[in-house]
Amino acid sequence: MTSIPMLPTIIGDMAGSFIIIVLSFLSLRYAYLLIRSQPENFLWGFLFYFCLTLAAFSVSRAVGHLLKQILLISGYREQWRFLAPFTGGFNTLLMISLGAVTIYYHKGIEGYRAIQQKARSIKGANEQLKVAADELQKLNLHLEEMVEERTRELSASEKKFRNFFINSKDMVYFCDAKNRLVNMNASGLKMLGYSVADSPALDLADIFNNEDDLDKYFEEIKAQKFVEDLEVEFARADGTVIYVLLSATAVYDDAGEFIGCEGIAKDLTRVKTMMAQLASSEKMASVGQMAAGVAHEINTPLGVILGYAQLLMDDFPSDTDEGESLAVIERQTKACRKIVADLLKFSRQAESAREDISLNEILTDVLAVTEHSLNMDHIRVHQDLDQDLETIVGDTEKLRQVFINFINNAHHAMEEQGGGDLYVSTSNRNENKEIVVTVRDTGHGIPEKVRSNIFDPFFTTKPVGKGTGLGLSVSYGIVQEHGGSIEVESPVIDKESGETMKGTAFHVILPAAVAESYVVKE
Amino acid sequence: MDSGKKTHRMSLFLLLLVLTVFPGNAWAVQAHGAPEGLYVHQLAHVFYTAALCYLIWDVRRSAFRSRGWRFLQVFCVLMVFWNMLAFTGHILAAYITSADYVSDTGYLDARLQGPFTSVKLWYYFSRLDHLFSVPSLFFLYLSMRAIYRSRCEEEEA
Repeated sequence: MTSIPMLPTIIGDMAGSFIIIVLSFLSLRYAYLLIRSQPENFLWGFLFYFCLTLAAFSVSRAVGHLLKQILLISGYREQWRFLAPFTGGFNTLLMISLGAVTIYYHKGIEGYRAIQQKARSIKGANEQLKVAADELQKLNLHLEEMVEERTRELSASEKKFRNFFINSKDMVYFCDAKNRLVNMNASGLKMLGYSVADSPALDLADIFNNEDDLDKYFEEIKAQKFVEDLEVEFARADGTVIYVLLSATAVYDDAGEFIGCEGIAKDLTRVKTMMAQLASSEKMASVGQMAAGVAHEINTPLGVILGYAQLLMDDFPSDTDEGESLAVIERQTKACRKIVADLLKFSRQAESAREDISLNEILTDVLAVTEHSLNMDHIRVHQDLDQDLETIVGDTEKLRQVFINFINNAHHAMEEQGGGDLYVSTSNRNENKEIVVTVRDTGHGIPEKVRSNIFDPFFTTKPVGKGTGLGLSVSYGIVQEHGGSIEVESPVIDKESGETMKGTAFHVILPAAVAESYVVKE
Repeated sequence: MDSGKKTHRMSLFLLLLVLTVFPGNAWAVQAHGAPEGLYVHQLAHVFYTAALCYLIWDVRRSAFRSRGWRFLQVFCVLMVFWNMLAFTGHILAAYITSADYVSDTGYLDARLQGPFTSVKLWYYFSRLDHLFSVPSLFFLYLSMRAIYRSRCEEEEA
């Protein structure tokens, strides 16, 4: 072979040039799609510009080659000689551009990496920020829940203490540093007799009955910052006195300054009365025992004296001095025996009958006997007898004596002032288990200093000879014997209006027959 | 602005225009001989080859391991070979004269005549540079398509 045909190179050059143009544009298309899908991605940017430059180079080179082949095949060698430097120049330029784009990629990619690192850093910071924000949000949310929960607890606590303050049956009060009462619950105001709706401005000095008590209160508050179980007297709005058990605590602000005190007072008046009654009952019981002993001891010699006196009376005519003296001895001995009998009744030593009786009937009988003498002294009798009154089991005669005693006492109390009103009433109480008989007068009343002694045997405010002082003692003994009790009011407080009325009221409380049988069954 | 200054500026513009139109008369302009174009073209091949080598190195360094980036590396390698062949072809072309061709009927009938030295054979081979450039571009096409599809799959995921 002496020569090689150039035709394959010509054909290869033309075909290759055409294929290169096609492939470069196909590549450019995908690079374009890439950059369009993610314009901010530097890599896709590089690939796009690389493919673009390569496409330009391919076009330049391939067109140049095709032009060359066409011109040479067509015999335009001179024309190609003229154009060749231009296509070569373009090829050179675009090849340098390709290199430049690639080198630019180096710097670009570094920048891109730096940006990416920065972006990652920012992303990391953002994520941390997001986590922190989430935590903050959770904390915030939790804080809101906590605040809500605390508010609920606080509200419940406030409600609880408010309820305690409002519903407490004892007095609860708050006072400021100047001892002015700034808050007092309804029970406290009611205890002091003030209107809840329109309570006046009070301070501690207004409600303490004794200055000594107030001084002691302040001393203890100052010394030990609290007062515990201090028994004091409070003055009510109407001037009456109640006994209270007081506990209080001093209140200080954050700076340690005294800003007031808060206290609770329990009304002990009823307890005190009960205690007094209990003490009185015990005293009466012991007195009764003593009286019973004395009565028994005296009763026998009195019987002997009376017996011998009556024997001697048979020996001396009644119109003689001896007979008259013996009559006096007999009369006085009988008086002594009556006293002894009364003492035995007081000490419940006397025998009693047990029968169903109506107190209304007894009271009607008693009033029938006494009404005349009462009217003589301008005493008006008012009866309010419950027609449905339960019966009681007891001794008619003894109970009659009780009511005669009360009416006589009322009579004596009112006759000095020239008359008055006597109220006698009966009623069922405590679901018909108890019967209350009230005998109330409008007399001078019982002085407080003697109130605790009125049931004592031989205690009397009447002049000598007017009474033995055994009337109320005997009544007390009889009522006790019937399982009842006696309450005394002097002065009398009207239950409906709350007004204080002059006079004395004796309330006899006796168990109804039904209740008694119930008690027996129990 | 006065008329004197206007005249100065117009004169300067006309001078620059004359120098641009007739550069041969300007002493400051350097003359470029015919080989300079070839040298620049060859340097462009070298520059392009270096850029491709750098791209291969950087792609490998960047740990781009997907199929698309592997195709791009193949493109770069083939393109480097093409550059080398083209570079060689341009040098060898200087040793081939019109006397080395014979033609009976025209350009299409042209033949490279013997005796065949290695220069002539390499030259003939360098004229078939599309054996590298076409596969190279094909791998570029595959690379772009693979990268784009991979990107689409990522987006769908």
